[in-house]
Amino acid sequence: MISTPSLLNQMALTSLDPRINRLQLPDYDPNTPPKPALDQFETFEVFHQKKEKAPFTYVGPVHAPNEEVAFLFAKEQYSRRSTCTGIWVARTRHILVSLYTDELTPVYEVLEKPRQPGQGPEEAFEIFELKKRGKAHTHAGTVRAASPEEALWRAKEAFAKPACVNIWVVRAQDLLRTGEEDKDLWRSTAEKKYREAADYRVMDKINTFKAGTQS
Amino acid sequence: MYGGGNIFEAPRPDELAAEDPVRLAEFEARIERGEKIEPNDWMPALYRRQLIRMIEQHAHSEIIGALPEGTWITRAPGFRRKLAQMAKVQDEVGHGQLLYSAAETLGKTREQMLTDLITGKSKYSNVFNYPAPTWADSNIISWLIDAGAIVNQLANAKGSYGPYCRALERICVEESFHLKYGHDAVVHLATGSPRQRQMVQEALNRWWPPIMMFFGPPDKLSVHTEILMKWKVKMATNDDMRQQFLDMYVPKIWELGLTLPDPNLRKNDDGVWEYTEPDWAEFKRVINGDGPCNAERLAVRQAAEEQGAWVREALQSRSQGTYVKPLA
Repeated sequence: MISTPSLLNQMALTSLDPRINRLQLPDYDPNTPPKPALDQFETFEVFHQKKEKAPFTYVGPVHAPNEEVAFLFAKEQYSRRSTCTGIWVARTRHILVSLYTDELTPVYEVLEKPRQPGQGPEEAFEIFELKKRGKAHTHAGTVRAASPEEALWRAKEAFAKPACVNIWVVRAQDLLRTGEEDKDLWRSTAEKKYREAADYRVMDKINTFKAGTQS
Repeated sequence: MYGGGNIFEAPRPDELAAEDPVRLAEFEARIERGEKIEPNDWMPALYRRQLIRMIEQHAHSEIIGALPEGTWITRAPGFRRKLAQMAKVQDEVGHGQLLYSAAETLGKTREQMLTDLITGKSKYSNVFNYPAPTWADSNIISWLIDAGAIVNQLANAKGSYGPYCRALERICVEESFHLKYGHDAVVHLATGSPRQRQMVQEALNRWWPPIMMFFGPPDKLSVHTEILMKWKVKMATNDDMRQQFLDMYVPKIWELGLTLPDPNLRKNDDGVWEYTEPDWAEFKRVINGDGPCNAERLAVRQAAEEQGAWVREALQSRSQGTYVKPLA
């Protein structure tokens, strides 16, 4: 029999949770070694479409080992509540971020034209604008350019109004997108009323209780 | 859930004097105008440090706070309540993910935060160092601890740091389900059989002192609040939030015929609630590791880290890229 004295010599903790007791965990050891630096995954940024024809809007990042897993995490994290008709995912390092300005200075007004035109053939870039600090970036549209920097300048020509304070540029090819065939992913949630606030109506019970105690 | 009663660090002497006065003035003017600070903006070191501390504590509270309620998933009465309890616990862990990401934008990696949690260097909300011995305890947490958290989070959602505000906006939407679910569960017990009423009353008696501690020490014992409120890191004082909570929830508790274990609890004519101060020495003792569940909570996190390491390593071996700080 193989024994593990280092574990056996430690007292297992006793919990009110039977699942924890079944695990027979060793006692807490505060001298645990630190996690290795950056052993976590790459980061991806997630955009979410709340309903058909609504613009895709930034909802937050996920950590994942590749973009397929990033998509799965994104679906769980950002679309398990309320409605969703689509998700886009991009690697954080694939997003060009303009400088941040403020409401007094629209970012398009301070953009500088790239000194050199982009090299190579033109391709599609997706443009996301932040209208106001503290809000979320929203998809403004697509431009064609030969580099992300050039795409930023083309966005100025295409979308300069209304004003915004920051712009993200992503090569269209670098976005993993759900398609028409993926929409059934979100069709299963309609009957899950137990996780919606509207499904809990307590006033009837309270009023019945009060009427009973007063009579 | 679960942010509340954050413990802030004392500013270092002359720390602000070392900052660039022009940039500091621009930073403060931006906040004064009601604009948010975004990750790439210049910010004083103290602002960055206190925000990391606050958001990290909040994130830890979400994942540790899932443990006492997770305890009751398998024993929740009925399939529907099991599903709802599971959905709630899933939300809490999801909130942890949102908040860790917001803290990462300030420059602290997730690994550092998890290491600091497991080694006890970083704190989490003190209420989760108390046990949930019955189903009614879990319901009291779902209703009243979440209610306290919503008071705190709605205030902080109006704060100055963009990524934290965005995360809180999302969290608060999901919290509305938790609050209703918890209230419904407590009402079910309170309007049920004498045994059910007794169970929920006893749970309320157990949880009332930790609930009163949830918002942190009284203002007269809290230091460093002024600069944090000026920078909109902290949006309301501990006492203000406690008063708001009492005003909103004590009447709802009393209308169920339940009592609270504080003979001095009453609302004065001026609208201010009087109450007996909880045992702040106990608060300090528990937050420093000597609570009934501190060791268990951290042992479970420690085991999860250790037992999940091989999964992370296996996935990482197929990873195509390296970590980059999230954008917003």
